Amino acid sequence: MKNLRMKAARAALDLSQQQLADAVGVSRQTINAIEKGDYNPTIKLCAAICRALGKTLDELFWEE
Amino acid sequence: MALHHAGVFFGLMAGLLAGAAFIMFLFKKKILDMHFDERQERARGKAFQYGFFTLLIAAYAYGVSDVLLGRWCDVLTGVTLCIALALCVFAVTCILKDAYLSLREKPRTVMTMFALLSTINLGFGGMYALSGDLVEDGVLTFRAVNPIIGAAVLVILIVYIVNYLLRPRDEEAE
Repeated sequence: MKNLRMKAARAALDLSQQQLADAVGVSRQTINAIEKGDYNPTIKLCAAICRALGKTLDELFWEE
Repeated sequence: MALHHAGVFFGLMAGLLAGAAFIMFLFKKKILDMHFDERQERARGKAFQYGFFTLLIAAYAYGVSDVLLGRWCDVLTGVTLCIALALCVFAVTCILKDAYLSLREKPRTVMTMFALLSTINLGFGGMYALSGDLVEDGVLTFRAVNPIIGAAVLVILIVYIVNYLLRPRDEEAE
């Protein structure tokens, strides 16, 4: 399932996939795969993405 | 004959040492690097699995072919053929999953190096073929190691370039 909340949070900060990838230390393709729902990141990477985007884990990754 | 074997042995050892020194130099200069992110590590693990099973099957197939057809190539050539096949499977799987190059490697530099490596090895292969040293008494000699490595590197290079060209330019379109 696509992670549109993460994509929206990134877009709100006007960050490209590459800029977010550089900020969390992964490749752009990894950020792309997470947003597309093709890859489930570890909790460590989730936390790094949340810190970079200024969001909580719930806001970006929790599914009801 | 013993002198010939000693020459081959020391030649191979010198080649391996030179190769190892060159690879160490590339790591030192940060042209080659082994820092992958978690998705890449996982993809590479899967690719390694495919490469490993390819190596097992290829080695067994080589053994069976030797029994059925008789000696058709030097053992060193046969082993190199199996390893090259496994490496190709590993590399192609990694490339298709965007996990071949690490975060710090520059694609253009690495691929230029691959092009050079392939050209040099295929050049040696062509030279041996012209001088008639590639096949002796119907047996593929150890000199075929060069063109096999050259061909394997060329396959990796072509797959990388085709994959790069076919990938959507716009990141959001991926």
